[in-house]
Amino acid sequence: MKVRVFFATDVHGSEVCWRKFINSAAHYEADVLILGGDMTGKAIVPIVQTAPEHWRYHMLDITHELEGSDELAKGERLIRDHGYYPVALTPEERDEYTSNEEKLEELFHEQMRQTVASWVEWADARLEGSKIQCIVCPGNDDRLDIDDILATSKHIMVGEGNVLDLPQGYQLASSGWTNLTPWDTPREEDEPKLKERLLSIVKQATVPPEHLVFGMHAPPYDTQLDVAPKIDWETLTVQGQDSAHVGSTAVREVIEEVQPILSLHGHIHESRAAVRIGRTLAVNPGSSYTEGMVAGVVVDLDGKNKLKRYRLTSG
Amino acid sequence: MATDAGKPAEQTLFVRKASGLVKGWSTGDGFRYSFFSTNIFLGIWGFLYAVFIPGGSVFWSIIITTLFVLLEVVVYAGLISAMPRAGGDYIWQSRVFHSSVGFVFGATGWWFILWLWIPIYAALCVNSFIKPILRIVGAGGAADWLATSWGVFVASLATIALATYLVAVGMKAYANFQKWALWIGLAGCAVAAILLLVTTKAHFITSFNREMLHLYGAKDAYQATVKNAGDGMPSSMFAGNFKDTFKLIPVMAFWLLWPVWGATLYGEVRGAKDFRKNIYQMAGGLLAAVGIVIVFLILVTKTMGWAFFEASANGYMGALYAYIDPAKLPAGSDYLSPTAMTSWIVNNSAFQVILIAVISLIVFGWWGTVFLSSTRMIFASAFDRILPESVAKVTSGGVPVNALLLMAIPSVVVSAFYAFQPSFVQLTYDATLVIAAMFFVTGLAFVFMPWRAKAIWQNSALPKGPILPIIGVIYVLFMGFNLWLWFYDKLNVYGVGYKNKNSMIFMAILYVAAIVIWIIAWAIRKRQGMALEAVAKEIPVE
Repeated sequence: MKVRVFFATDVHGSEVCWRKFINSAAHYEADVLILGGDMTGKAIVPIVQTAPEHWRYHMLDITHELEGSDELAKGERLIRDHGYYPVALTPEERDEYTSNEEKLEELFHEQMRQTVASWVEWADARLEGSKIQCIVCPGNDDRLDIDDILATSKHIMVGEGNVLDLPQGYQLASSGWTNLTPWDTPREEDEPKLKERLLSIVKQATVPPEHLVFGMHAPPYDTQLDVAPKIDWETLTVQGQDSAHVGSTAVREVIEEVQPILSLHGHIHESRAAVRIGRTLAVNPGSSYTEGMVAGVVVDLDGKNKLKRYRLTSG
Repeated sequence: MATDAGKPAEQTLFVRKASGLVKGWSTGDGFRYSFFSTNIFLGIWGFLYAVFIPGGSVFWSIIITTLFVLLEVVVYAGLISAMPRAGGDYIWQSRVFHSSVGFVFGATGWWFILWLWIPIYAALCVNSFIKPILRIVGAGGAADWLATSWGVFVASLATIALATYLVAVGMKAYANFQKWALWIGLAGCAVAAILLLVTTKAHFITSFNREMLHLYGAKDAYQATVKNAGDGMPSSMFAGNFKDTFKLIPVMAFWLLWPVWGATLYGEVRGAKDFRKNIYQMAGGLLAAVGIVIVFLILVTKTMGWAFFEASANGYMGALYAYIDPAKLPAGSDYLSPTAMTSWIVNNSAFQVILIAVISLIVFGWWGTVFLSSTRMIFASAFDRILPESVAKVTSGGVPVNALLLMAIPSVVVSAFYAFQPSFVQLTYDATLVIAAMFFVTGLAFVFMPWRAKAIWQNSALPKGPILPIIGVIYVLFMGFNLWLWFYDKLNVYGVGYKNKNSMIFMAILYVAAIVIWIIAWAIRKRQGMALEAVAKEIPVE
């Protein structure tokens, strides 16, 4: 029997994208949902109280003035949907966070944990009673402790470092760890260590390659899945249209050695593409989270040893 | 992420270390692409068609068209900012309206009709630069051969080869080439401008007559050329009546509509979500091109004389459209290239050849755009599975080989028609019309985005007041006005209206082909268990 997998990745704190991801099973008639990492947001938008019942925040070049708690809630929702964390602050608190890096770090930590916990609660309610298998694998931008929050879910399975059983005798081997980036993120390491990690995960699989699926956040090196603007690691600047392959050689080598039927990736938002590496179809559906859109891929596995078809989606 | 523009002094965004937080691509790259696309030589070539509407003011029609095209820039900057995806118009129309709408207008506008742009590019380049150079170096036989059907066809094949090569080398190499081509080409233009500025009309007439005698054996060629001025030609570029000036707008659209030509590429461009930066890039390219062309026209008026410039255009179009006997023209059926005429001011063949060659880089730097934008639309529809997966195949060297073949092979066929079927050249304005129809629908997509693509609109950085939809409506009306003039062309001025049966058949073939492809894809995908519409349909949030 056919198995339909829907894979999306890199929602980066966008609440609208998380909800759409959970709802995508019905939309695409998928049996399995896989989120490929980088759930957590990158920025906090301070909503500064300027007077009693009056707040102001600035986002995407627009200054928003909020009157009353209804408008405040609406503003917070808009910020969350964009992938940022809204935090209501007094001007003094904002200045405190501006000057105190440690305190700001703690605020980020708290926001991420709270948000992931609320997402899990929402997803559990939504998935209750359904037969959909939902797997979430954190990515390099996600702190290690969010795995524990995900693990509290009744219906979400945590992919990191595991081999999970999928329907019809398929298995998913996944990891959110990547090769080194200029941003010194929580889950990154050099290529030899990454290869060691990935091989140790893949070794847990008990199915033949034609029934094995990889969910690896980093895309394989030197493919159309890993093209990103070339940047200066010191200044984090990019000039002109220079681009570079920034994927992982370890991921590529493991794919070449194991040849799973399907390999799912993310990490490089602008490199939405699918390529074949030997017998493996490797896909990076990219990410459009700032637009509130879920970029994904629907893959039909035939239940035997073939990948019937795949289709990149945007919903 | 917020940018610095308009940012208050206090902290408005706290960011943490996370992947992808880099600064955007240079504004210069986007500017260059827009400048090349609104190509000044396409403009000068397009002025030839103004002879069919002699009562209009060239200057004022440029100004009016530019003002409306600035609205187009805002519309496209907005859509790019809200949906920065490779595929441009196809993606926006698919997401806002329907997969079928996006494909039919996207495929005809960014794919099929660009087959016709190939022989137009070739004709422009051959007549403006190659033939004048061949005449100067004494290869008149080769220049004459280029005017034959086989010559036109071979020039088109060379254009296809060069356009394919420029895409095959990749965006990075192409951007570098464009950078050099721009600066060298502009340096050539500056030399030409200085020549025109310091030369008196009397000296120009002497130089022109000398070279025409030398190259064509024509005596008193300046005076003979002026005799071919058509009836009712305005006395200056400013003169003209209101009605005919507006009728000239579709003529100006032939070169002014294209600052947004890079729209299909923005999925690959960093910083594309920055609405204002997109406007600066595209509007900058448009205004720079318009500024240069206006300076050129002023200098032409001063040094060559407006009546002479108009008459030279009328002579060439008269020979091409067979209402003037070429034997009565000093240069026969040759186009009197303004670049060549300017170079003739200096009585030195080597200088003339170098100046023309250097200026031609403004056109060669632009050539890759004819296929580059198309490949992105083809890719996007392949990702959506309207076209087969293999269409999006990229070689290990990054060459979109099958997408290029889908451009190159039909271009050979269309070029053959253009070369060997004389009436085909009269379909030139179809090249603009079909793209304009796509732009019209894209304008509608912009207007309806707040209702039809709510999540995208809400999450975009675009100002949420009524101003943008109003701009969109005015732009749609402008494009509708152009489409109406092109179609309902009672006097057959533009040559592609309902009176031109060939044009109607040609466009019908393009649109029917797109509709058939979509229906076939829809049937296949439905049988496979996932309708095409689902690919682009928004997933429910709640």
